[in-house]
Amino acid sequence: MYFDPVLAWNSLPLLLTATARTLSVLIPVLMLGAVIAVYLAVIRVENRRGSGFVAAYVNFFRGVPSLVVLYMIYSGLPQFSLVRDTWLWTIFSQAYLCALMGLTLTHSAYMTEIVRGGLAVVPKGLTEASAVLGLTERQTFFRLRLPMAIRYALRAYQNEILIMIKSTAALSAITIVDLTAAANSIFDYTYDPFTPLLTAAAIYWCLTNIVRFFFSTVDQTLNRHLIAQTYS
Amino acid sequence: MQILGFTQQMLTGAMVSLQVAVCAFIMALTIGAVAAVLTLRQKTVFGAFWIVYASVFTGVPSLLVAFFFYYAGADIIASVTRLSGAEKHVDLTPFIAAILALGMVYGAYIADLLRAAIRNVPKGQFEAAAVLQVKKRFFVPLIIVPQVIRIALPALTNMWIVVLKDTALISLIGLKEIMAYAKLASGVTKEPFVFYLIASLFFLLMTSLTYYVSKNMQAWSDRGAAVYGKD
Amino acid sequence: MQHIKSREFSMQRSTDEHEGAAAALHRNATAQPVAIGMRDVNKYYGSFHALKNITLRVMSGDIVVLCGPSGSGKSTLIRTINHLEKHNSGTITVNGIELTRNSRTIQAVRAQTGMVFQSFNLFPHLTVLQNCTFALRLAQKMPKDQANDLAMAKLAEVNITAQASKYPTALSGGQQQRVAIARALCLKPPILLFDEPTSALDPESVGSVLRIMEQLAETGITMVCVTHELGFARNVADHCVFMENGEVVEQAPKDRFFGSPESARLQRFLAKIIH
Repeated sequence: MYFDPVLAWNSLPLLLTATARTLSVLIPVLMLGAVIAVYLAVIRVENRRGSGFVAAYVNFFRGVPSLVVLYMIYSGLPQFSLVRDTWLWTIFSQAYLCALMGLTLTHSAYMTEIVRGGLAVVPKGLTEASAVLGLTERQTFFRLRLPMAIRYALRAYQNEILIMIKSTAALSAITIVDLTAAANSIFDYTYDPFTPLLTAAAIYWCLTNIVRFFFSTVDQTLNRHLIAQTYS
Repeated sequence: MQILGFTQQMLTGAMVSLQVAVCAFIMALTIGAVAAVLTLRQKTVFGAFWIVYASVFTGVPSLLVAFFFYYAGADIIASVTRLSGAEKHVDLTPFIAAILALGMVYGAYIADLLRAAIRNVPKGQFEAAAVLQVKKRFFVPLIIVPQVIRIALPALTNMWIVVLKDTALISLIGLKEIMAYAKLASGVTKEPFVFYLIASLFFLLMTSLTYYVSKNMQAWSDRGAAVYGKD
Repeated sequence: MQHIKSREFSMQRSTDEHEGAAAALHRNATAQPVAIGMRDVNKYYGSFHALKNITLRVMSGDIVVLCGPSGSGKSTLIRTINHLEKHNSGTITVNGIELTRNSRTIQAVRAQTGMVFQSFNLFPHLTVLQNCTFALRLAQKMPKDQANDLAMAKLAEVNITAQASKYPTALSGGQQQRVAIARALCLKPPILLFDEPTSALDPESVGSVLRIMEQLAETGITMVCVTHELGFARNVADHCVFMENGEVVEQAPKDRFFGSPESARLQRFLAKIIH
């Protein structure tokens, strides 16, 4: 068991580039996923047309590992000439775009459930009160229900983001050199099993804790009204 | 016809996935249960150690941990056995590395979960058993544990599904489970979509089966549990 | 002479030395004239002085009601008797056994005292019958049939045998509390402690539980009740104790307590409660 600080230092550029590449996939996924999830969650909560389809969508992408989804999009779809021989190929031939699509599908499925859960906890009485006060449905939703849902769902959202950071390790399977793949490549080159993996682990650990710190700050700001005031 | 033959292979792979998942989950449950009990009281030595352990193993992808055990496992065992004199060289198979990685990572999550469940058992249950003079070694397994299970069951079920799906990712260390065979079959038949679809169906089937079984388990463990709103 | 002989005999009989000593404590704790004695008992939660120099005596066979405003320390007081709360100074003696931090004395005291909780604390995953036989079979090692018979007898005393095979949450609050009383009675304790037994019940159920408690009072068992139900106190109590801010403000036999309260604080309390 040994850790080679020199190797660690020298491999940092490679590992950090890979981290940047990971984040360049992850951040758009998180943003897209959130937007899609709000839209889908509303369909589910209000039981609009397509609610059944959304339910099936959520169950599928929560039940199937993200690796399978990525393989299906990157390797599986090109099996069909419809994808191979048309303009679609410009999209599906790019590993980056396939990665975006695959992870967004999975992430949005989990996010839909999280947003749905958050919306469900908002007391119905509040919605009724705001309707009586004359706010439109859209206003009630965006200015009252959604902000409250976000507060309740904060912990679940944090956990989901942490899980997404870790599932980016699957990207190596579709030729995107993410942080894990980069660490492996250094191992392949140097046969040092400890240093590159431990360095990559340290970088993941930093990412994780940045997210945790960010959420704990957000939580404190958003929920400062809940801290019981003690007057003497 | 070819598809059928490969499907059979994939079934063997599926069995391997299940074996890894089951062994890893049992290991995670054990680690989690022990850690939860030992960290109930704040500020112990083990508590400090566990904070570090949990921070590390929940902050890092399980795939990375699996690679670590797969590549470095032999070295670790050699170093440890060197201390006791006889240095042994044991190569960790992907199977073992996968189980170790998943067990240690999800043990950290399960500990958190179980500790919260234990804390949520109403204090009155402990008090009632104490004033009835029933010794701890009787009332803990008979009164407390059933209630901890009831509280923790939904979260534990979710954890099982997460572990099962994570075995797919761990296939990337070279474990010959369902994903590996799907990839193999795709390469040969040039029909990857079919095989990945079959793999999806496997996972969906397992998820549905899990929910079905857990619903029954929940019904049994919920017997007598409080009906909300009625007091 | 005979006293020493019986102690030796009981110690020889037990196989487990620890259990033997505790059993000796149990067997020698006959019903003393003073069931519960508390002298200068103090309890602190951190810097908060919850119980201030409590001195109290409960005679054997007495029904004592503890009342007072919320936060006065009544529940804390009753919970120190069976060591659910630890007292910081002073002595507590139950049927001759002094309660210390030693687990032997704690077990011995708990053998003398049964408790009925405000939130019932029935085991939710056991049936009513199993709730009652649980301690009999595991703490007293009673065989199954004997335990079942005893439990059914106690359930009959509280009028709830029809529900014996149901789970607690299938029952109403009043029924659950009656099961809790039966469960405590199964161990045949000479002293019963009630910690606000009817405070969590809806008004209809309160009556059924109070009736059972009044029945119990007639059997000669020693009862200490923390309650707001002063009607019960007037009917059945022998002595009443009024607490406020962690101190015993006044304690008196029932008639004097309600008829001619001495302290101004008690007078104000009674005026507010009774119309």
